[in-house]
Amino acid sequence: MWGQAAIPRPPIALGQTPDQSQTTNWLESVDPMQYTNPTKVDESTYDDDIVRMFFGATVLWGVVGMLVGVVIALQLAWWPANLGLPWTTFGRLRPLHTNAVIFAFAGNICFAGIYYSMQRLLKTRMWNDMLSRIHFWGWQLIIVLAAVTLPLGMTQSKEYAELAWPIDVLITVIWVIFAVNFFGTLATRKVKHIYVAIWFYISFVITIAVLHIVNSLAVPATLFRSYPLYSGMTDALVQWWYGHNAVGFFLTTPFLGLMYYYLPRAAERPVYSYRLSIVHFWALVFLYIWTGPHHLLYSGLPDWAQTLGMIFSVMLLAPSWGGMLNGLLTLRGAWNRVRTDPVLKFFVVAVSFYGMSTFEGPMMAIRTVNGLAHFTNWVVGHVHSGALGWVGMMTFGTLYWLVPRLWKRELAYPNWATTHFWLATVGIVLYTVSMWAAGLMEGLMWRAVNDQGLLASPAFMDIVNRLDPFYWMRLSGGALYLIGALMMSWNFIRTIAASRSEVQAPSAAPAVS
Amino acid sequence: MNPVLQAAAESISHGWLAGLVTVFFVAWFIGWTWWAFAPKNKQKFEKAARMPLSDGGDQ
Repeated sequence: MWGQAAIPRPPIALGQTPDQSQTTNWLESVDPMQYTNPTKVDESTYDDDIVRMFFGATVLWGVVGMLVGVVIALQLAWWPANLGLPWTTFGRLRPLHTNAVIFAFAGNICFAGIYYSMQRLLKTRMWNDMLSRIHFWGWQLIIVLAAVTLPLGMTQSKEYAELAWPIDVLITVIWVIFAVNFFGTLATRKVKHIYVAIWFYISFVITIAVLHIVNSLAVPATLFRSYPLYSGMTDALVQWWYGHNAVGFFLTTPFLGLMYYYLPRAAERPVYSYRLSIVHFWALVFLYIWTGPHHLLYSGLPDWAQTLGMIFSVMLLAPSWGGMLNGLLTLRGAWNRVRTDPVLKFFVVAVSFYGMSTFEGPMMAIRTVNGLAHFTNWVVGHVHSGALGWVGMMTFGTLYWLVPRLWKRELAYPNWATTHFWLATVGIVLYTVSMWAAGLMEGLMWRAVNDQGLLASPAFMDIVNRLDPFYWMRLSGGALYLIGALMMSWNFIRTIAASRSEVQAPSAAPAVS
Repeated sequence: MNPVLQAAAESISHGWLAGLVTVFFVAWFIGWTWWAFAPKNKQKFEKAARMPLSDGGDQ
């Protein structure tokens, strides 16, 4: 597949008579009214250095975040792994893991993917290169600050929003810089129509800003301590409005944007239904924002608000599956290539896990199901089917697709990509299956009563002890996933090193015509 | 309490505002769906579906 990258082929839908636009250069068949400047833009117009920078950061932080994940999985299975030190206990490393994989790994691939695709979809360079660089280095600084402060125990104790207030301020500044550059590029675009992927990116840029600022409002007391502006139930509601929309607008909409660009590119097929993508986009962003209260079922939150969160969560199934079907159906006529192209393999499994976890999520948001699932490892399994399955596999697919284009070089070890795919897939299955089983067991045992109406397992530790085999199984799944990521990293390092040695020794080699 | 804020809070509890918002969003949903599936937009969106392929990124 790597060799084919250089040859753009006309996309021909099955069962359709090839017309003029498909037999001639179909670039020219695009409606000129759609383009303010119909001439083709040269590749050198684009800033790909910034894409390479975010690409490297994605790989680096991905490995770090997954490694910490494996360590804390080991700690749950085998407590001495806490090392008896305050900085390495589960309570401090767990937020480090979540922050690293969400904001560092997923965040950096979103930025890499956006910078690459938006310049090409809008046929213009990023509005300001300096802002791109400030965005990159500022974001990496935030990650380093998180990696230092979280093990030291500095936390706001809000899930996925643990960072201390000065870092929150820095995030806001960097995000606004990114937004200015993003909308500046949009304003100076050479293409009239804003492609659906860009709409998903817009929802990412705007909504994350709103969520982050509203949820992080706090009164600073000292340099690293602050008190949230909200209290009690209001605080909980704002937190889960933020928390669930972090899933929605950091881990879903930007990745759907990536799907709508990179999946058609890799499959060399047009999007199955562009109209569905429009309906899917608006329905998804509209419904997502109301689903937060499903984290607070059976809490002190007013019943009507709980029910609202539940109903919107269930309705969210429709646009989610609309997106999944649109992704899978885009592969119509390209399924034979899934067998040989590791990029498409990653995308197919990613979209399938998206479908599975967006079915599971609405189910778990139903009050009675939530009564069984809440606080159990089922929730952990659900999150990781989305995170490892959807976010991780989308990221790997995008990275493998980008490498030969960014470094003009085929993969050093092409077969490793397929090995990585299988390691990751088996790892996810081990992870999710063990956590589903563990969660169902916990939920059922916690509520089980005997003939007298007394708790069948009154000693909580009895149930905890039964989790042991599941925790080891989860650890093995996570370890396989990490090994795959390490193989990918080494593959990329060798590929990029080979590309660099070629560039740096031009006198040794004759000019390539 | 500020009388304006008081009045705003009371109007929400009356429910007519919630009804109005619901009607607005339903109309919006019908609007964008109609726009997406309008026959006059068919060709435009079929071309838009090929936009990732026509960015000339590989040459």
